[in-house]
Amino acid sequence: MNSVAMSQPMSAGVRSDRKRRAKLSATVGFIVALCLLPVFTSSTYTLHIFILTFIYIVTTVSLRTITTSGQFPLAHGAFMGVGAYAAGMASRWLGWSCWITIPSGALLTAALGILIGYPFSRLRTLYYAMGSLFFGLGVIQVVYALGDWTGGYSGFTGVRPMFTGSKVSYYYFSLGLAVACSVALYRFEFSRIGTNLKAIHQSHEVASSVGINEAWYRVMVVAVGCFFAGLSGAVYAHYNLVISAASFNLGTTLGLFMGVLVGGIGSFAGPIVGTFILTLFPEFFRDLRIYSPLVSAAILLIAVYIFPQGLVGIPQVVRAWYIRDRKGDQVAHAS
Amino acid sequence: MGQAIATTTNVLILSSMYILVALGFALLFSMMGLLNFAHGAIYTIGGYIGYQFAVRLGLNPWTALFLTTVIVAGFGAFLEKFCFRPFVGDFNRIVMVSVAITTVLQTLINIWESGEVLTLPPFVTGVLKSGRFAVSYQRLVTFAVGASLLGVATWFVRRTRWGQQMQAIAQNTEAAFLQGINVRRISMIAFALGCGLAAIAGCLMGSYIQLSPFMGDTMFAKVLILVILAGVGSIGGIFLTGLLLGALDAVLPLLMRGSFSDAIAVVIVVVLLLFKPKGFFGHEA
Repeated sequence: MNSVAMSQPMSAGVRSDRKRRAKLSATVGFIVALCLLPVFTSSTYTLHIFILTFIYIVTTVSLRTITTSGQFPLAHGAFMGVGAYAAGMASRWLGWSCWITIPSGALLTAALGILIGYPFSRLRTLYYAMGSLFFGLGVIQVVYALGDWTGGYSGFTGVRPMFTGSKVSYYYFSLGLAVACSVALYRFEFSRIGTNLKAIHQSHEVASSVGINEAWYRVMVVAVGCFFAGLSGAVYAHYNLVISAASFNLGTTLGLFMGVLVGGIGSFAGPIVGTFILTLFPEFFRDLRIYSPLVSAAILLIAVYIFPQGLVGIPQVVRAWYIRDRKGDQVAHAS
Repeated sequence: MGQAIATTTNVLILSSMYILVALGFALLFSMMGLLNFAHGAIYTIGGYIGYQFAVRLGLNPWTALFLTTVIVAGFGAFLEKFCFRPFVGDFNRIVMVSVAITTVLQTLINIWESGEVLTLPPFVTGVLKSGRFAVSYQRLVTFAVGASLLGVATWFVRRTRWGQQMQAIAQNTEAAFLQGINVRRISMIAFALGCGLAAIAGCLMGSYIQLSPFMGDTMFAKVLILVILAGVGSIGGIFLTGLLLGALDAVLPLLMRGSFSDAIAVVIVVVLLLFKPKGFFGHEA
């Protein structure tokens, strides 16, 4: 964006307009392609991977929304688990329909987010990360401790399915959910509230001096992020039907964080790209069996060393290389 | 009474192991602001490399311990130079690198050992008997080694030239640099020291618990709790908090079901953190 605006100031507006239209059409095309996928493949396994990817996209996008306020929550996997267990337990013990359990699981997670976000809003950067990390550990331990209701170490079974029959209905439901949540969070990020959050991220002193209620906004964004984490967890519970605390531990939280960082934390598309790559790419190497985690590690290292802006920054990096090469040529010609 | 003695030795052993791993982590955290998620994996490979030397090669356990420490410390220096130094101060990329390192190490261990259950042989055999009480020499020796290493490490950080330079860097990196301290070299030494201590803890614990590629995760959770409770930049605090944590871990399971004790320990930490966000002994923002 910046380099374009600087090199051609006259046509910058036209450029960015065209660029936006190109991005929009690419997004729509991508979604249409995803809609058509079940027509071309009937493999349950492929659908399963895509369904999980869509569910995780909801979580990673909401995780990135929290980070726009300068907070680094290391408990998002645990919040997903709170939603999953709340919905699952309501479904099994109270016999509620999944159309009630999913929203109530999400709301409960948001309430917990407020409860924990308020005292934690005093903590900054590393301390916030640590505090939320312990909270995540605590959630797992509470699930184990209440083994009589949650199933403890052996996992929780007996969640009632959302749809019967093939996975295609799940596929469209989770795709629709991912698109709807992404659009909602996109609108949120570029609203007045989102702008205030970015101001807090840049300098909380300046932000409070111009009348932005810092604590309120920080708690609010955690509540919003937790709502979507709980939502995805609840859908996960009703899709997978078996949940265990181990799928919401620190490893999961870090995995979600990796999705955001690999894609690019500075861009809204980052977590979507990152989650797709980190879930789909290792699947191509499924034949490697126990070697396959090395593929994800390789992706992480490539992103760290070569694309510090995340994988969505690839075009910029390539353009920079191209420009540098051309300049090098010019210098060579001149001398 | 017998149980009281067993509990006390457990408290002391657990505490000294926690402190050994936490000391290195805390040193890096306060010196470079580095949240090294790979520290648990370093502890794990300590146990596995010790196993290779002691069982596969049949070396004397003490030689194995020494060789493991040297190798892992060298590995730590390598990690510092190529994986962490380029990204110091960039929280996101440090997290990515350390998660990648953890994944690689755990996967390599899985491939190498194909998930077998392994335990290191005891360092010494025999039981110390006095009247009705009995404590195995192994436990006493583990504690003695752990405690003396902690003493040496503390002396190193507090009294030696390199250690004092580390403290200077922790206080203010730029000022230390302007005083002519070679920040890069000292960081590398600190990294090697931290990794070496973690490897020793891994070796020593390896004869009590079964080695598993994921044993570092449990340890890492404890270490995080310890370092944050103690507060950044306080070495004395780590000792006291380590004893407290070891005591909680050894005593709570006697009073209630195991899963409850873990939950209560974490809840206590969260509550403490809410009231004292800088830890018990912390003095930095």
